[in-house]
Amino acid sequence: MNEDVESKLRDALRPVEPRAEFSRKLLARTLSTQAAPSKKPKVSRGAARPLVGWFSASLAACLLVAVGIQQQLHQQRLRATGLEARREVEQALRVTSQKLNLAFEAIKSQSTAPSDEKSGV
Amino acid sequence: MRKYALAILIALQAPASAWALNPRLVIPEFASLAQKSIDSVTITLDPALLSMASRFLDASDPQDAATQEVIKGLRGIYVRSFTFDKESAYNQSDIDAVRVQLAAPGWSRLVQTHSAKTHADVDIYIMVDKNQAVGLALIASEPRQFTIVNIVGAIDLDKLHKLEGQFGVPKLDLNASKAAPKQPDRSAPQK
Amino acid sequence: MDAAPDYLDAKLAQARSGERSALTALVQAHQRSVYSLALRMLGTRDLAEDLTQDVFMHMSANLGAIASNTHLRFWLRRVTSNRAIDQLRHRSRLPMSSFEDQSELFSAEDPADPLLQRHLRALLAHLSPPARAVLLLRYQEDLDPMDIARTLDMPINTVKSHLKRSLQIMREEATRMPSEPCQDSST
Repeated sequence: MNEDVESKLRDALRPVEPRAEFSRKLLARTLSTQAAPSKKPKVSRGAARPLVGWFSASLAACLLVAVGIQQQLHQQRLRATGLEARREVEQALRVTSQKLNLAFEAIKSQSTAPSDEKSGV
Repeated sequence: MRKYALAILIALQAPASAWALNPRLVIPEFASLAQKSIDSVTITLDPALLSMASRFLDASDPQDAATQEVIKGLRGIYVRSFTFDKESAYNQSDIDAVRVQLAAPGWSRLVQTHSAKTHADVDIYIMVDKNQAVGLALIASEPRQFTIVNIVGAIDLDKLHKLEGQFGVPKLDLNASKAAPKQPDRSAPQK
Repeated sequence: MDAAPDYLDAKLAQARSGERSALTALVQAHQRSVYSLALRMLGTRDLAEDLTQDVFMHMSANLGAIASNTHLRFWLRRVTSNRAIDQLRHRSRLPMSSFEDQSELFSAEDPADPLLQRHLRALLAHLSPPARAVLLLRYQEDLDPMDIARTLDMPINTVKSHLKRSLQIMREEATRMPSEPCQDSST
């Protein structure tokens, strides 16, 4: 029974297409806000290495790649943590603001309907 | 043993203010309430995470810049919020463990409101040290939700005001509210 | 949407460097998912289109912070769900009843089952915004509970209890007499 309900939900909740006219507008407006290209340092494609010493060069490259991957993984973890922290800050401020708003509304309505609201400052 | 005696002696000689002014509240886990709730928000941001969050805010974006300004002097943000699908799913005694900490020296109640329309009670407490707000606590009790917010660090209420309209932060005219005549029967504790 | 991740990863990189055709490809790849999520969360086409527009404009301005197409998909689902939940929480006029008027809420690829659609409308109208988001991420986006928990920043047990309750409501709706009017007990 559960599987039947789940399968029906999946069928009915397949994504639907937006209107074609809306798709066109969406694209136009999104393109109009496209951010300027991010400036990245250009990778210099140096001249081919001489054959002599190719082995040590390969070894060094492997080491560099390994270090690079390690650093990249570390950066990715830092980035994920940072983005999560940023989201939490925004959520915390949002919750705080909602509750400040409740207090504010109560203070505001105190002046209009003194019997309904109570506030002390 | 001598080591412990020395530690106790040092602790006893520490200035009283160092003990009294601790804006960090000990907020319980509320595990049983979390299970009953249909939605919960648990945020614990220590100085390291705040600093990291700040690095991921874009200073060229006005909203991010305002957020950066607000969290610059902060040492912690702690939020617990639980939403229930029916009323009276929690007791005021659940919040008492936090409320009792706000009776400690240093904390003073800035605003206490009760709305008969929404049945929402909001208490805002602030801790001030050398004319600077160093802690803020907010307890909001609504029929189906309760929220505790504790912000630790140098809170600049003006900067918080600047967030108005960005996270839905209202412009709380605290000065005007302070100047309003206090009516003893209305400002009496609601609980 | 899952068809060509490598292709979309390449498009993301090109879009970051300002290529308009790459951004077009990204919007086209993700618009159905974002729009459907917005539509089924908010209940009306107008609100859904506004939210979709808003999400993609925000995406376009923040492409530099998005690492891969997988990250982009996660980001889009998270931003769409959270903004929809925020909108529903802040609106005094919840558009719950509007579910009744929207014929385009559900997939039209199969022959329409009016009874199923009625049960689904009742279900969507019944659920709280976070529970609605959980249901849609599970059955529209095919995310597992752990990914839903990450997307909505919600404890996994809350996700599971929302899903369990939604299925229970759906089963209850399905076992009712077809002639019985659906009860809209929106919260």
